Amino acid sequence: MKRALQIVAGIAVLLVILAIFFAPYAWVVASSFKPQFAIFRDLKPISVATFFPNEPTIANFVHLFENRGIGRALVNSAIVSSCQVIGTLALCSMAAYGLTRIQFKGSNVVFVLVLMTFLLPIESLMVPLYIHVTGLGLADTLVGVFIPWIASPFGLFMLRQAFEEIPRELDEAARIDGAGHYRIFWSIILPNVKTPLATLALVTFLFSWNAFLWPLVILHSPRNHVVQLAIAQSVSIAQLPNWGETFAGATIATVPLIILFLFLQRYFVRGIALTGVKG
Amino acid sequence: MNTIEKIWHWAAVGCFVGPFLIMLALFQYFPVYEMLRDSLYDFSLLNLAKRQFVGLENYRAIIDDPDRIQAFYVTFMFAVGVVVTVIPVSFSIALYLNGRLPMRAIVRTVVFLPVVTSVVVIATMFTFLYDPNNGLVNSALGTIGLTRLQFHTNKHQALPAVIAMMVWQQTGFATVLFLSGLQGIPKDLEDAARVDGCSPLQRIRFIVIPLLMRTTVFVVVIMTVFSLQVFAPALVLTGGGPEGTTNFVAYDIYQLAFYLQMPGLASAVSVVFMAVVLAISLIQMRVLRVKETQA
Repeated sequence: MKRALQIVAGIAVLLVILAIFFAPYAWVVASSFKPQFAIFRDLKPISVATFFPNEPTIANFVHLFENRGIGRALVNSAIVSSCQVIGTLALCSMAAYGLTRIQFKGSNVVFVLVLMTFLLPIESLMVPLYIHVTGLGLADTLVGVFIPWIASPFGLFMLRQAFEEIPRELDEAARIDGAGHYRIFWSIILPNVKTPLATLALVTFLFSWNAFLWPLVILHSPRNHVVQLAIAQSVSIAQLPNWGETFAGATIATVPLIILFLFLQRYFVRGIALTGVKG
Repeated sequence: MNTIEKIWHWAAVGCFVGPFLIMLALFQYFPVYEMLRDSLYDFSLLNLAKRQFVGLENYRAIIDDPDRIQAFYVTFMFAVGVVVTVIPVSFSIALYLNGRLPMRAIVRTVVFLPVVTSVVVIATMFTFLYDPNNGLVNSALGTIGLTRLQFHTNKHQALPAVIAMMVWQQTGFATVLFLSGLQGIPKDLEDAARVDGCSPLQRIRFIVIPLLMRTTVFVVVIMTVFSLQVFAPALVLTGGGPEGTTNFVAYDIYQLAFYLQMPGLASAVSVVFMAVVLAISLIQMRVLRVKETQA
């Protein structure tokens, strides 16, 4: 009897949690396949039709690609995110090698300098960074979107930890065989930190793809817009939004990440939990 | 080490650490210096060459302007609201997930979905969820016979509505942190308590909560810093209104610099903002360290 009660309570909690966290997604995705009148019609009262398109149409998506340039925005986002991932992995892994494998005077100072930037709230830097990046001639370019963030203190911190865990006997042996820093870095260290590298790549991709404030500040022309800007624009308070189209945009921007997340959940959760260090 | 070896040694250091440090100096340290300097000037982004030194005038303007003070106040209240809600909610879900209940994997995945969704998409979703006429939330409230709400269009409901949205997004993140803390609690400790006849509630009160103090403070610090930097909801959902009740500092800085063309004043607000965030996280980290040595 008590066991049965527990199961019922468990299922009740489960349903509430599912409703609160999943219903908004179901509504948005289902509505993106409906014309505007159907979205409003299916809303009251709430029924299965609210969360399921009975006569699905892809008109919203077609319109987004043909008239709103969402395809271009997706390509821009993919370029920016990929470059940010590559740049971050390159810079952070090299710096982590230097800090863990080459003994030099001042390495502690370097590490403290990096640690201090952990605490800087990025949002407070947008004005000087805007002036600075504009001065470098990178305003309204895709390079300007990702270049300020590739020297990631979080990435360095995470990889430094991973590099420390590799036994030093490995590179000592390679050194005796005549390998230089470059070889040790490339053939001994990197193959041993594949998981941390993959985790860092995923987290960087996620942050880059979802970034909003900085792209908003630095990009002006619509042809350079990344996907988050394209979505924010379609809800801007000045105009009456087209619900179905906006939902279609939100779906396009989110579903790739969710699929990625479902397959690589373990890395994601680990990586996100680690970003807590950055705060 | 002879001279040539020395040169090679420092060349290697430069090759590996140099690029990172140059980028860090260029895009983090230098902007901080520029921000401090710009906060003492009056100029516009349209003509950077024409600038006038005004000393601490911009800082005086912050103190004298109720709008700036309100921005700091609502941001602070927002962070408090998020933290006091997200902690108990995510702690409860983590307890649930840590038990031997069915379908844990689904719940964990679903709760975590908002964490991988961008703030813009979430703010967009909530613009429609909160729509006073055709929103899903009001429709749900109406279906079960409750009063409809105005959410972000009402000056008393706007801030709580944005807090609720942020809690919805951050719960999964906090849950993951709590869950990893819970999994670090030795099983035999709980078993011993069970043998001694402790009820589940007593076990939570006297074993789980004290052992999770460190995790909790950690979650509090992260949630506070995240919340203080809130921006997208103001831009997408509320426009900072009604009557400035959701005019968060980051949004205020953005408006001042890029719409009102007062980057000097915006820099001064940024300096104060950075100092406040640094102070809060340092204080919280000091607390964290105290807890750590006690544990």
